Amino acid sequence: MRKSRAAYPLTWRVMDMLEAIAARLWPARFARALPYLMLAPAVLLVGILVLGLVQIGDSSLRVLDTSTFLMSEDYTLANYQRALTESFFATVAGRSLLGSVIVTVITLILAFPYAYLMVRTPSSALRNVLLVALFLPFFIGQVVRAYGWLIILGNQGMVNEALGLVGVPPMRLLYNYPAVLFGLIQYMLPFAVLMLAPALTAIPAELEAAASSLGANWLGTFRHVVLPLARPGLVGAGLVVVTLSLTDFAIPAILGGGSQDFIANAIYDQFFRTSDQGMGATLSLLLVAVGSLLVGLVFMLFGAGTLAMTGERK
Amino acid sequence: MPAASAERRVSRESIAVSVRDVGMAFGDVHAVRNASFDLPKGKFLTILGPSGSGKTTLLRMIAGFDAPTSGEIFINNSPVSAVPPHRRAIGMVFQKLALFPHMTAAENVAFPLKMRRHDARAIPEKVERYLQLVRLGGYGGRRINELSGGQQQRVAIARALVFEPDLLLLDEPLAALDRKLREEMQLEFRRIQKELGVTTINVTHDQREALVVSDEVIVMEGGRIQQKAEPVHAYRSPANTFVANFIGVTNFIEGVVAARDGALVSVAAHGRTLTGVAVGDAPATGGACAGAVRAEQIRIAPRADALDRLDTVLAGTVADAIFEGERIVYEVRVPHLGDQLVRVFDHDPVNHLQFSPGDSVCLGWNARDMHVFKK
Repeated sequence: MRKSRAAYPLTWRVMDMLEAIAARLWPARFARALPYLMLAPAVLLVGILVLGLVQIGDSSLRVLDTSTFLMSEDYTLANYQRALTESFFATVAGRSLLGSVIVTVITLILAFPYAYLMVRTPSSALRNVLLVALFLPFFIGQVVRAYGWLIILGNQGMVNEALGLVGVPPMRLLYNYPAVLFGLIQYMLPFAVLMLAPALTAIPAELEAAASSLGANWLGTFRHVVLPLARPGLVGAGLVVVTLSLTDFAIPAILGGGSQDFIANAIYDQFFRTSDQGMGATLSLLLVAVGSLLVGLVFMLFGAGTLAMTGERK
Repeated sequence: MPAASAERRVSRESIAVSVRDVGMAFGDVHAVRNASFDLPKGKFLTILGPSGSGKTTLLRMIAGFDAPTSGEIFINNSPVSAVPPHRRAIGMVFQKLALFPHMTAAENVAFPLKMRRHDARAIPEKVERYLQLVRLGGYGGRRINELSGGQQQRVAIARALVFEPDLLLLDEPLAALDRKLREEMQLEFRRIQKELGVTTINVTHDQREALVVSDEVIVMEGGRIQQKAEPVHAYRSPANTFVANFIGVTNFIEGVVAARDGALVSVAAHGRTLTGVAVGDAPATGGACAGAVRAEQIRIAPRADALDRLDTVLAGTVADAIFEGERIVYEVRVPHLGDQLVRVFDHDPVNHLQFSPGDSVCLGWNARDMHVFKK
């Protein structure tokens, strides 16, 4: 008996020992509680966030007393009234919403062929190049990348110098709305491609061959087969891009040069420039509300896409 | 001369597919080499071969998914190398069926009609007619994942046929089915093909399927066509040892040619002389050869006197008896053939399992049932 035990590898016996200890500490009748125990840290983290939201909700109901620079003791809806009526906030909100929608549409259009090529190319070398090119920007970071654009697009930047060579006078390429949208699209593209690629991988290449043998040209195949089957990926990628660009801070701040503020920049100004915690909190809550509304609307219209994770697809 | 050319034109017009010297090379690897055959209209051809024999590559070239690196394919006498798949009138049933999961059965069947710009008003009626043809009348509204495996097969067939293609290609669509359903679908393919008269090319590694469904069989191996013949002919007169081995269960007896007398060949093997019939390039006297005897052509008996009408009789010992239901397979060790194991089918319904391992038996066969190939 002892001899045969010795025949087992050491690692097996170590595992047996660990299992015995685990059984002591966590008897089998507790087994049903185990999943909840593993869930606890994540719930705790989200819980702290909710506490923060309650705190922000409290702040949003107090106004700043400009003579003492203290928050008022009484609750009032004055901040909300200001946020919804003052044209400055409407402009910022409109700019952010429109911007995030434009960025999402263009990003998806650009990301789709990229993801498609990456998934379908028979050349593994090309696939690797496309993947590395996708991850490279992640290593650089958002702020550094935005500064990079400042250098490239500046008045003495590469683009203007190249234009100068062909006789075009220097142009102001920065600190305007298109520059911010350009920066955001460039920033969002990898996210969109990474969200789309798994959805496209899930479409068997045989389906496209079948469509073409049944008489569909590439446009017909794309419209009736690839696009409908890629919808979960498009919805998932669209949701991620729209929320990320709606709440983005660095790109509008750096490439907009203060003239193209998004909601996050306005919130920052309220908290750290005018020190109006109440107004900052109000704007934050409104942003959460608008974002949730937008996501809810997309869920209702198109379903949750890949974010639904129902696992019904094979 | 004019009469002869008119006759040639008639025969050319009855050819649906003509494959001329087609080859497919990936660098130095030749998936298909010098494949040539003609397929008359309305015929059911099966390309049979093991995996990697090039049969699927040949089919994909006919469908237009891959272009041949040499040679040309003619469909209805027109070269098609420059024609993309969606402009060829070819229906194809894929290995994994490739049904569109986001459409219903009827939408799948209607897809080729829509893509080929058929009259939209006639589409629903036509879809229903083809669903009825594959015995799925009334199932049009079902989603693909609500159908069973066999029903999905039928939808795929209806979708490939509904636009009345010149040619139907089947890329091993039955490979994944269980045996019962597979045999049922084989007969179904045959029925539909006969009913519509559509020229069909089927690819499979299942020799039974090839024999059951086809008018003609092409056996492929190593990228080359080994034999093209009617199923009976391919089974009864295999062109070489590969075909003899791939279709049916065959015993090979290796030896050298001792003497020749017309078609009859005497084979010297392990000190005995066996008589058989030469196949193809006749091996010369003294040359190495292999005699092939089908398992079902060998009689098995307890004593030699029961086999005295047969040309070749050998004694042996039963090594194993395998019960397969409708038949018993005996593996018999034959000392006169260097202890080779010879496989014998016994269909005797009366004396079922008459021998057990260890029993002494005698085996016998006719000279005409041993095909002698050059090695």
